[in-house]
Amino acid sequence: MKKLLVAGLVLAVHIPAFAADTPIVGNVQTRCLITTDTNGVFGNPLPSKLSTASADGGVVPVVRYDVTLADAYLAKVTTPTAFSASPSLSDSVTWTGSTAVSKTSDAAMSGYEAAKVTYGSTTQFDLTKAGSTWFSSTATAVYGVSKSFPGGSYTAIVLAECIAK
Amino acid sequence: MLPTYPTFTQSFMAGISVTTLSIFNKRKDVSYYEIGVFTDEWEPIPFVSQYTVIPMKYLDTVSFDIYVSHLSLDSVEYICSVSQLDLGATVSSKICSRVK
Repeated sequence: MKKLLVAGLVLAVHIPAFAADTPIVGNVQTRCLITTDTNGVFGNPLPSKLSTASADGGVVPVVRYDVTLADAYLAKVTTPTAFSASPSLSDSVTWTGSTAVSKTSDAAMSGYEAAKVTYGSTTQFDLTKAGSTWFSSTATAVYGVSKSFPGGSYTAIVLAECIAK
Repeated sequence: MLPTYPTFTQSFMAGISVTTLSIFNKRKDVSYYEIGVFTDEWEPIPFVSQYTVIPMKYLDTVSFDIYVSHLSLDSVEYICSVSQLDLGATVSSKICSRVK
């Protein structure tokens, strides 16, 4: 009986442990991504006016922000105040513009629009939640005093910034 | 751009600090990003890196080091990447990490 016990103990000592190392893996994701959802197009409802508003025949540019770290970034969207490319212009251009939240991935982001801060042509949003937010910007350019824009191609740039708080 | 809050450490050179960041390009209409280092008043700060303008393909990730003199280190607030637009692009993007 003693021999059996000793043999049992020896066997028990040699029973291999079946515990395995369990690796923990993870990917580090980019915290703030900006992508162009829709490129804007100017409509030309009047000879002196270029506008991205759909009522004016334009297409509103839409920018998407993907944030994976809540309450760490400010989104700043600046509508254009000059053309980056255009025919030669001999008179001044008056710019107006605005930016609004057009879509969110999370209902908790519904307060972004009410809490936005606008200064000059820049609109600032506090991205307090993780997820995606779409911002649409309208821009209107009026040439001189009812002067016709010269024929040609016009380009203006929307600046989308994501600044760590 | 990662990390959101980078920290500088002593580099292999005396008087020079270094931090490492990475950029991911999710924009099909952008092939180059320019790097900049700024104060809290958005004044540019001299720095050295492998790149000033980084060529990037769509969905590419690039890591790079930023070297800053100890004399400027206390003034560093933001490290930013600014998209260099291809023809036809109408949205410029700027993403900034903050040194706290």
